Amino acid sequence: MISELIINAFLVTVMLAIAIALLKTRTVIFTVILTSAYSLVAALMFITLDAVDVAFTEASVGAGISTVLFLAAMAYLPKKEEETIGNQFIPALSCIILGAILIWCSYDLPQIGLVSSPIHQHVAPDYILGSRNDIGIPNIVTSVLASYRGYDTFGETIVVFTAGIAVLVLLQNKKKISKDTKSKIKKKVGRNA
Amino acid sequence: MISSSMGIWNYWIVFLLMMIGLFLVIGRKNFLKKIVGLAIFQTSVFLLYITFGKITGATPPILNEALDKVYSNPLPHVLILTAIVVGVATTALGLSLVLRINSEYGSIEEDDISAQDLVDYHDEIETNKKLKSKFVK
Repeated sequence: MISELIINAFLVTVMLAIAIALLKTRTVIFTVILTSAYSLVAALMFITLDAVDVAFTEASVGAGISTVLFLAAMAYLPKKEEETIGNQFIPALSCIILGAILIWCSYDLPQIGLVSSPIHQHVAPDYILGSRNDIGIPNIVTSVLASYRGYDTFGETIVVFTAGIAVLVLLQNKKKISKDTKSKIKKKVGRNA
Repeated sequence: MISSSMGIWNYWIVFLLMMIGLFLVIGRKNFLKKIVGLAIFQTSVFLLYITFGKITGATPPILNEALDKVYSNPLPHVLILTAIVVGVATTALGLSLVLRINSEYGSIEEDDISAQDLVDYHDEIETNKKLKSKFVK
């Protein structure tokens, strides 16, 4: 049990190191690769925390698809981030204060891995028992996702669909405007000639 | 003693990661870095949720008839599974907004863009003044 916790603490510290490197770097390609590495280490953490479904979703979607999206967007963007001019004191101070308050509150949180913590007392036992008796799917996560909380998944699908439409509209608009300006320019040139 | 301090260590690092993500969003002026900050914040919140669902010595929540075991809490796993997919949708939307801003302004630095807006605003005021003075004459 202790070894589990030690692996856990090590991986989460690696994540902290990657995040600090992200604070330092100003090159876009490093930023993208560090974000991908961060997601991958997060996926490893999910495995040690018994969340295997979340781990492979994070590895494929978080470390895979979002890296592809970042790389695709990177091709059209400036390669270097400009040095920040001006004072960063107020954002840094507010982050430090908020972090200190959160860490202070962490003493009231239940310790990791206790069976007696409140989250395990509510509906989770019903789901675990019901998955065997009512639904008959061995993977409890699947039975909760598709059956008990099917409407949540439906809502998620709607969100993804909306985001897809929004992305299409945003990127299509660019082409349209450039075409319009092109035709205007052509007309003007034609008149002058 | 070791296990009790380890028991809170996860939370501390998760809160630090959250604050780094928040700082990237509010402290950095580059829009791509802001989106990366959002992703960092999101993943740290996922870690917090999954940490809550962990039971020491438990197995992943997949039923095994041969062994009568303790399973970790499946509910946070389901919530975070949904959140990861929604997070990628948000990232895609944010990136397309950044691309659009870049094609319009030729820059993704917040200071640069607000300076361009200021110049445009100033020009507009100047032309309005000229028009007004013409009208009065």
